Amino acid sequence: MMKVALFATCLADMFRPNVGKATVELLEHLGVETEFPDSQVCCGQPAYNTGYVKETKKAAKNMIRAFEKAEYVVTPSGSCAAMFQEYPDLFRDDPKWHDPAKELADKTYELTQFIIDVLNITDVGARLEGKATYHTSCHMMRLLGVKDAPFTLLSHVRGLEVEPLPNSQNCCGFGGTFSVKMPRISEQMVDEKVDNVLKTGADYLIGADSGCLLNIGGRLERLGKKVKVMHIAEVLNCRQGGNYHGFENQ
Amino acid sequence: MKGTIHNRDSFLNHIASQLGRDHRTAGITRPAWKHDAPWEVMKDYTEEQLLEVFKKQCRNIHTAVIETSKTQLPGVLKKLVSENGGGPVIIPEDSRFEEYGLTRLLKQEWPQENVPVYQWQAKKREENLKAAETSNFSILFSDYTLAESGTVCVKAKKGLGRALHYLPANYIAIVPRHTLVPRLTQAVHDMNRAIGNGEPAPSSIHFISGPSNSADIEMNLVVGVHGPLQAFYVLV
Amino acid sequence: MALKINEEKFDDRVSQGLQDSFMRGAVSSAQERMYTRRLSAAEELGNWEEWRSLGEQIRQHVLKNLDYYLMQLGENVSRRGGHVFFAKTGAEAVQYIKEVAEQKQARKIVKSKSMVTEEISMNEALIDAGCEVVESDLGEYILQIDNEPPSHIVVPALHKNKSQIRDVLKKKLGYEQSDDPYEMTKFVRGILRKKFMEAEIGVTGCNFAVANTGLICLVTNEGNGDLVMSIPKTQIVVMGMERIVPTMEELDVLVSLLCRSSVGQKLTSYVTVAGPVTGEEGDGPEEFHLVIVDNGRSEILGSRFQPVLQCIRCASCINVCPVYRHIGGFSYGSIYPGPIGAVLTPLLKGYDDFRELPYACSLCGACTDACPVKIPLHELILKHRQAIVEKEGHSPLAEKLAMKMFGMGTASPSLYQLASKLAPSVVSPFTSDGRFGKGIGPLNNWVNIRELPAPSKERFRDWFIDHKKRGTTDERNHS
Repeated sequence: MMKVALFATCLADMFRPNVGKATVELLEHLGVETEFPDSQVCCGQPAYNTGYVKETKKAAKNMIRAFEKAEYVVTPSGSCAAMFQEYPDLFRDDPKWHDPAKELADKTYELTQFIIDVLNITDVGARLEGKATYHTSCHMMRLLGVKDAPFTLLSHVRGLEVEPLPNSQNCCGFGGTFSVKMPRISEQMVDEKVDNVLKTGADYLIGADSGCLLNIGGRLERLGKKVKVMHIAEVLNCRQGGNYHGFENQ
Repeated sequence: MKGTIHNRDSFLNHIASQLGRDHRTAGITRPAWKHDAPWEVMKDYTEEQLLEVFKKQCRNIHTAVIETSKTQLPGVLKKLVSENGGGPVIIPEDSRFEEYGLTRLLKQEWPQENVPVYQWQAKKREENLKAAETSNFSILFSDYTLAESGTVCVKAKKGLGRALHYLPANYIAIVPRHTLVPRLTQAVHDMNRAIGNGEPAPSSIHFISGPSNSADIEMNLVVGVHGPLQAFYVLV
Repeated sequence: MALKINEEKFDDRVSQGLQDSFMRGAVSSAQERMYTRRLSAAEELGNWEEWRSLGEQIRQHVLKNLDYYLMQLGENVSRRGGHVFFAKTGAEAVQYIKEVAEQKQARKIVKSKSMVTEEISMNEALIDAGCEVVESDLGEYILQIDNEPPSHIVVPALHKNKSQIRDVLKKKLGYEQSDDPYEMTKFVRGILRKKFMEAEIGVTGCNFAVANTGLICLVTNEGNGDLVMSIPKTQIVVMGMERIVPTMEELDVLVSLLCRSSVGQKLTSYVTVAGPVTGEEGDGPEEFHLVIVDNGRSEILGSRFQPVLQCIRCASCINVCPVYRHIGGFSYGSIYPGPIGAVLTPLLKGYDDFRELPYACSLCGACTDACPVKIPLHELILKHRQAIVEKEGHSPLAEKLAMKMFGMGTASPSLYQLASKLAPSVVSPFTSDGRFGKGIGPLNNWVNIRELPAPSKERFRDWFIDHKKRGTTDERNHS
């Protein structure tokens, strides 16, 4: 049986545990055993994106150690997976850490990328009735380069109609600390994203990054909009007849 | 006469030191470029295929393409000019006018029909500019014609300057079919090779793709700004 | 116009931008149009990524050997009879240009669009010296008569609508017709025609200088740049020192990338490669000056920011930037707005006036993706943030403390676990009904406009341990 180490991400660990649960259940359903290296912390992105290299390195070293023994590392976040890709460059002048960093980067996959590229599965047997739109998160699409995998997987979800999101290429305004450092600009960006989501008439807004979903979802909720926000792991984990951490028992 | 050069050495030495080395004055060659992408475009196209691409692109750039033969050429030019407000017409010094059987039109027919024809002259700057400003048409030959972008290319030379491309209201380029190449790549390669063989580069090379235009006001396209308002390519 | 275009604070500039609903509408519709046009122009080539990496390679090669190519260029311009002036600073460049104008006793100067002349405040100096300086690019001309800076490096008057433009033309020039762009353009054509014919000196920028020929390439659509280098007897070219290619073969690649990326065209209407004349062509500049400007660029060479010098000023990063989309060009306070401005402006003018710019970015990477010469723009923005942190006192104290704690927490798994376990109860005074209310410093900026769920009582990691004890979900459901 294939075994993967789960990198749950701090947002899922603390704010949206359901995303982590759905990821575990989905992988198990696809015949993959999961483990959760307990010493994992944050990937360091908040510090990195604010310019704090020393602090980032501390987090990175910890993560490299935590996943040292794993054959594959899978995470339900395009952005956090992309952060691992930054590690080799972070340690470019540090021979001791550079190679292990590279090794971690090479064996890390975002969840949908793992399902498509490693498991070679396009239909995970999910079912969800309704109309959805998908938010392409910037880091997953541009930095990690995973563009098609989520759409391929969603296209096989029974009962789900996926409506394209207008101007989907534009950032939702999250940007980690950007959302609190430049709140007024971030507000305009998330408002435009919300408008576009509403234009689609979708019941569900689906995404693969908890940060973006926290941002768009938080704004939708504040505006009293009924669109349900789901992580793609939760959608793909919706199956008939079971007690899963998908939509039914959110 | 050589022009002056000021402050060069200190300027370049500083650049070199920023780059962490001594100033290099020789021995730099272009590396092998990673890709041949420019040469891949329309690589195996026949002349007919290139022509199709050219004509299609000219529609995008608001430029009429008129296909004709050498014998029909004078008639076509006459019609174009008379249908678009008549003369005056300005032409450069170019032996191809003779070669393409246009001498009679330029020297006799048009002048007799009250279409003044001014020929650009090597040493008559003021007259040239004045004539170009008041001309309704300029007529030139294309040296290279780029299918991809619908472009004519004209090299400056004795008796063929700059403003006659830009001042007259209407622009006619006569395009000999053999000048058609896929894109910019072939034209500059050819010219660069000549320069490499020691030929002096022309003092100006003009790549012209249709009439002048602007989208500076609310991104609305306006055709005809400072340069010509209309462009016609006559393919021979 | 100098590089710095206003004295207001960043926050005030942003406020003004956010309130300018016409500008925002104009920018977002322009962005959307450009997005489609640029993508289809790139798609037509089929191998856009190869073109980009070729463009990158050419630019990097040139930067690496910049002293050599500038020397070669200077030799070739001089051989053609042109004069070359290497200017370390903007002031030196302006002084030289003024001297040329004085020597020619020139009063009338016509210009084509050039960002570097804006950067060095050339117009102001020449006007002070008693010259009339006329911008001839339609957008630049409109801004000049209205005394406004550009808000975009390719479409400088993007922030103005047509009725505003009509009012300017009416007030300053007695224009009486409608706000139809075609009519207004015709009107300006008539006025500028006269200016072109009368001008004694023409000033142009330089998209690329071609080292092995001593020729300068200008890329335009209006034909103004060509008139500027055809009619006046003296031409002054002002070039940023990095804008150079070895030969026309590399020019091919960069011009193709530039036209497609900046305006979605295969080639603009006019691409002209020209230099001093021999005297037999019958017009063109009898006297030719090339002013090569450093003005802070050499300090970037050899630094971690060197890739920004690959820039070919196409504005495709501006056209995809989601921040520029909302705040517009003036918010950047610099003639170089958007992602390229956020990187370049602090390098040319320092952090004192421009330290917010690297933070006005969500690091979405759209700019990096769009750049035709593969400048890692968002990474350079990040490097600015690193540089600001490295320079003591440049980052706010609260942020430094937070990041120190972050460093401690993430370096120690046990501390992190403790913190995450305690989080729900620590923050409980600030939460109600499972959500954060107001009260915790920077989080207010979040909860002012959005909900934030309280940390979950059950952490994922605790569930996972339980889950493993219970056996996998599928086993459970099947049993």
